[in-house]
Amino acid sequence: MDNPYVPRPYKVLSSARETADTFTMTVGMAVLHSPGQFVQVSVPGYGEAPISICSDSRKEIKLNIRQVGAVTNALAGLKKGETVLLRGPYGKGYPMKKLNGKDIVIVGGGCGVAPLKGLIDYVENHRKDFGQVSMFLGYRSPDDIIFKKELAGWKKKYSINVTVDKKGNTKSCIDAREGFVTDALGETDIRADKSAAMICGPPIMMKGSIGILKSKGFRDKQIFVSTERLMYCAMGVCCHCMIRGKFTCLDGPVFRYDEIMDIENG
Amino acid sequence: MGKLKVGVYGITGCAGCQLSVIFNEDEILDIVELVDLRAFPFIKEVNPEEEFDCVIVEGLVADRGDLKTLKMLRRNSKMLVSLGACACTGCVPAYRSFTLKENYEHLLYRKMEEIKDVEPTPLDAHILVDHYIPGCPPEKKEILSFIKGLVRGSIPRPYQSPVCVECRQNGNTCLLDQGKPCLGPITAGGCHAVCINGGFECWGCRGPTEDMNLDLMVRMLRDRGFDDKFINDRLRTFAGLKLPMLEKVMSGKAHKTETTFRGVRVFYE
Amino acid sequence: MEVLLLKKERLNGFIEKLQQDFEVIAPLKGDVIRFLPLKNPDDIFLGKNAYFPIKEYFFKKNEVLFQFNGTKIIVPELPSKKRAFFGLRRCDLNAIKHQDMVFMNDIHDPYYTAARKDSYLIGYHCNTAPSPYCFCGSLELADYFDLMVYDKKDDFLVEIGSSKGKGMAKKYASLFSKTSKKISEEEKKIPGSDRLEKKDISLFYNNSDWKKGTDLCLSCGACTALCPTCYCFETHDEVKTSNINEGERKRNWSSCQLQEFTRVAGEHVYRKDREERFKHRIFHQLEYFKEKHKVPLCVGCGRCIEGCPTRIDFVDILNNMKVENG
Repeated sequence: MDNPYVPRPYKVLSSARETADTFTMTVGMAVLHSPGQFVQVSVPGYGEAPISICSDSRKEIKLNIRQVGAVTNALAGLKKGETVLLRGPYGKGYPMKKLNGKDIVIVGGGCGVAPLKGLIDYVENHRKDFGQVSMFLGYRSPDDIIFKKELAGWKKKYSINVTVDKKGNTKSCIDAREGFVTDALGETDIRADKSAAMICGPPIMMKGSIGILKSKGFRDKQIFVSTERLMYCAMGVCCHCMIRGKFTCLDGPVFRYDEIMDIENG
Repeated sequence: MGKLKVGVYGITGCAGCQLSVIFNEDEILDIVELVDLRAFPFIKEVNPEEEFDCVIVEGLVADRGDLKTLKMLRRNSKMLVSLGACACTGCVPAYRSFTLKENYEHLLYRKMEEIKDVEPTPLDAHILVDHYIPGCPPEKKEILSFIKGLVRGSIPRPYQSPVCVECRQNGNTCLLDQGKPCLGPITAGGCHAVCINGGFECWGCRGPTEDMNLDLMVRMLRDRGFDDKFINDRLRTFAGLKLPMLEKVMSGKAHKTETTFRGVRVFYE
Repeated sequence: MEVLLLKKERLNGFIEKLQQDFEVIAPLKGDVIRFLPLKNPDDIFLGKNAYFPIKEYFFKKNEVLFQFNGTKIIVPELPSKKRAFFGLRRCDLNAIKHQDMVFMNDIHDPYYTAARKDSYLIGYHCNTAPSPYCFCGSLELADYFDLMVYDKKDDFLVEIGSSKGKGMAKKYASLFSKTSKKISEEEKKIPGSDRLEKKDISLFYNNSDWKKGTDLCLSCGACTALCPTCYCFETHDEVKTSNINEGERKRNWSSCQLQEFTRVAGEHVYRKDREERFKHRIFHQLEYFKEKHKVPLCVGCGRCIEGCPTRIDFVDILNNMKVENG
């Protein structure tokens, strides 16, 4: 039987820088997956890190990686044609089939936009199954905006609001307003009745967004949040990612808000 | 890219920590392959003092000469590492801070004008320290791991859990149960509980953990019949300067204080 | 289930037979009682349960998951070992059952499976709770053994619990005699072991009484290291000094009682509060595991209390917990 701890080798098809500390790597891993799922990326000698898939294709996967530790820094050094070790995909993503016919509200903060991009790609591949799409994406500064190229395309099709905490002096081709993503969300008219909202970002931003959505009439069951924890096995065994009995790696990383709402710290 | 330039230096100390570097006999030649071991005055004759990528410093600041050397090393190196208990916590030489001056005054150098003592203090009391390899002596494998990590751009996180974790995994029973004043529960591990493996209680040479329950530790020692003088002495032997809250805890008047160790702030309530 | 009779004077003969076919692991008395490879059958100590759990024989403290050289991965050979474990109490047998659920059912863990599959489990029934900390009777323990030895004044009764057990009974048939006796459910209960009161602990998550435990908690991780069921682990890579592209990925035990357990990049600790960590262990043992596996993880051996430097008795704390208003 297969050894579940052993990652397999895949080809790096490309690696492109998004911002000063993030890059997107395309890996030749042909695997069925749903948006919101993640893979365990290994760099021998450095360890493993869970990275969410930010694409929707059966031929390859894209990984948007922020350089925050030893593993992610080592991954940044991998070039096209080199080998990367992966295992997965793991976790429960967004229940896309159950959301057919719904309007989609996407709220993302910083590198939390990455897993949501997988969702956007899915919606694009199944456009007729979903209603209106509105996005609220917040970043620290214009320099931190990821998926700039894709954003331009989304702009033409969906309602998009991009915010930056501070504009600074940098010129950006992206039209972003200064402020928090929660402000943009609060000011918009979104209908709760036939919508589902997906939130991914820093805990404080998720908390704020949930509050606003609820004030607009969203019920807990219409809101999906992403969780992040330290994890090693990704198979529900090592227990590091457990949140009150739920495994981030098995039962998450995407949770319907009513499943974990009584838990503090998101 | 050339090899990283590394220096190993000692200021006031017993040289035991530098010996721990050398005690990696099987791997010392590999280390020389991995990094450019530019300076190591303890074992090398020629030691160019230039731009280092990293210097590893043993010992504590005890006189003006130490301070001068330390500041020079900090200026000349991108990274500075405290090696061993003296460099990290002040260790036994810093115990002087907790005793009356008349107890040691007669031992000070009087005639040698150039030897003027400085209050004995660990390195981070004077300069910025980037990484800590604690212990008296430090664990030789930990030094190796650090050098490998340095070369590979993945410096290991310091071990921050108490000594008890490794101690229990080694199959030891608790020395506190035997009435011994073991400081394992409040001391950072990473030493494989080597002392307790040999039946000798932990004296806290690797310094306090961020998460220690100091109040409970003191209560446990008192419950076992140790008087306050003993407790104070024992807790301060290796890491007294990193336990500024001890006095308040002992008098039952602890409130939020903080100390820094390994670049991490230690809060104590 | 089928029961055989073993004359008391034949126990050593049985163990010696086992030693011919297996490496025998049994509780031996040293500074404390430990499960160790047995040399002389006379050394077996059955007066009290072992201080350290049996789990390290299956779920090892340190395990090399694989070696690597660049991106090439080499999984080590995982030879299985024929071992017979003698003197396992009902709690420890159930602890093995619960770890089997995790490592052989939830996932297929080849390391655990290799160590476990050729292991023969021979239990020893407690006629009375061997320690004041025991509370196995309050938990939902099952029959899980190959053979179970019941000490009945004049003789031992040996119950067969599996096909492995049946095989052993057949192989050593000359030592056993037939008996019409049966082991009743009543006989399987252990007097003095039901001190944990049944209550829905989910109602007590925010109870102020948890402070009684955390005030005495050093977060030293003794409870999780001594627990026969705790199965949390972490992995890390080590590289050789002679070639930094070559090395090993290792797995070792970890403990939910430590801040390091939930520390992520950027120094954020999810369960920073000592009370949160303390409660997490109790809730995982009594609640969370049950949600998925239908039985509590805890087997009531009491080692986490006996081995705790301050003897925090969570059973006592839970028993005294009352529903608070507000």
